[in-house]
Amino acid sequence: MAESLTEKADHIIGKAIFAAAEFQQFDQEQTDRIVEAVYKAGLKARITLAKQAVDETGMGIWEHKMWKNVIATQLVYESIRDVKTVGVISSDPVTGITEIAQPLGPIFAVTPVTNPTSTAMFKILICLKTRNPIIISSHRGAAKCTGEAVRICYEAALAAGAPEDCIQIIPSGSRDFTQLVMAHPQIALILATGGTGLVKAAYSSGNPAIGVGPGNVPVFIDDSADIPFAVSGIIASKTFDNGTICASEQAIVVEEKTEQKVREEFERQQCYFLTPEEITKVEKIAISAETMSMSPFIVGQSVAVIAQKAGITVPEGTKILLAKLDGVGKDYPLSHEILAPILAFYSAKDHNAAINLCIDLNYLGGIGHSAGIYANDEKTIMKFSLLINAGRIVVNTPTSQGAVGGTFNLLPPSLTLGCGTGGKNITTENITAKHLINVQRVCRRRINHKFADADQKVYFNEECDESVLTKEYHKNH
Amino acid sequence: MLRFNYNKPAKELTCYFTGRLDTIASFNLSDELYAKLNTLRGTDDPVVMLSDKISFDMTEVNYIASSFIRICVTVAKQVPRGHLSIVNCDPFLKKTFKIAGLDEILIVS
Repeated sequence: MAESLTEKADHIIGKAIFAAAEFQQFDQEQTDRIVEAVYKAGLKARITLAKQAVDETGMGIWEHKMWKNVIATQLVYESIRDVKTVGVISSDPVTGITEIAQPLGPIFAVTPVTNPTSTAMFKILICLKTRNPIIISSHRGAAKCTGEAVRICYEAALAAGAPEDCIQIIPSGSRDFTQLVMAHPQIALILATGGTGLVKAAYSSGNPAIGVGPGNVPVFIDDSADIPFAVSGIIASKTFDNGTICASEQAIVVEEKTEQKVREEFERQQCYFLTPEEITKVEKIAISAETMSMSPFIVGQSVAVIAQKAGITVPEGTKILLAKLDGVGKDYPLSHEILAPILAFYSAKDHNAAINLCIDLNYLGGIGHSAGIYANDEKTIMKFSLLINAGRIVVNTPTSQGAVGGTFNLLPPSLTLGCGTGGKNITTENITAKHLINVQRVCRRRINHKFADADQKVYFNEECDESVLTKEYHKNH
Repeated sequence: MLRFNYNKPAKELTCYFTGRLDTIASFNLSDELYAKLNTLRGTDDPVVMLSDKISFDMTEVNYIASSFIRICVTVAKQVPRGHLSIVNCDPFLKKTFKIAGLDEILIVS
């Protein structure tokens, strides 16, 4: 008799539980040996996996996916290699507190179609580093390449002595089954990277979840910025893998006084400003009029393909399509997130109006995610940063690479970017190994003498107000 | 604290606020504001919708209390959707209105 979905889920999670039981006996050295072996295998397969991902999904550029694979393996490995994740991880003789890292248990990881192999390898590495078995559910559009990445990592892990079934992948395509696994009582944590629906499902499952959804990244080019430098950074970021990173720039905001200079620089660097008629045509193919979400058919596509789909003609070699818009929201479809080389462009009457526009864009589906600023004035950088609700505000840096970390700054390299409560996350940090451990604290006796030696009678005397209690607490003994 | 400019042909009322609109200041200005709106509508019944466009000019405001946000909501309910605009906000105030979720019912710029 065929297994029911529940039986199937029980079977897979049962295997992960056994793997977890074995894994928690490993010491740091054994764990690190496995992580090193998996990172090496993943790095070795970087080119094959990148090409497979592009072939299967039809999205992005293989050379860029190769770099994503490098970030997900080599850079992630370098960032977690020396981190203590097993047993005693810190001990302070003064406070008497010793911290012990314990694994969480089976982690259910959902990977997206836009960065399939890199996200899978990244999640595998941080799970193994923390002795957590991982069950991966890939996007159905990237099932083969993700499966191949999982196979490579699992074989390397086993060869290095990892527990059997420490890495598993479930068949893609069945939403019911995915939700069943997500909600299984023996899943310790869900690491969900993907669309809004998926992230919501993860949070609704009843299990702890770190779900990372969409962004809508505004970038302000201040008049103190080096404009050619800013434009080249934006192009490098927005064209990276045809814009598939959720931290890629979505809108450029400038002041009226710098608009002409910025426009000319974009044009000089082979970008194209759409006419109002062309904007209407691109809107129709890029954004669903009903849901205001981006069309999957243009995600990760080149400008040439987008232009052809929209029925417009743009100069050969155009890198990015820019649409000058007058507002933000449903009346301006291109003001929403689009993971393709299309950028909204705004000109504001003054500095405050420009920042206000960035706030509007930030709140249009991107709260807590990422934002960018090009400026050489520290006051402006800090003013912008205090007003924008973003986990990462990257300065004079391409936002795709800057938010992911590890290349242009010292943020931990990660393919899962926490968005804080704005994005319904518990953290704004770049997710890494430290988020996948339970830290136990052994608290040795250290008497608080101020409290212990205070005269308790005054606390029971209703006539003693706060000033008396404060004096009593702080008196010298 | 509060002054008005009414453009009769365009039926546009601009309310210029100044200073720190804390709870007490908001309370103090609310009577004056509502009285002005009643004059425009020709009745003191707030259920009667105003056809005028109203702008709250925030150029000289540096702080708003939740009671001022409530005033904005009250006025927004007395005019057709899109007829109340909060203009010339400093980004600090813009963020405050965003957090309050008022951008769904009125225009803040």
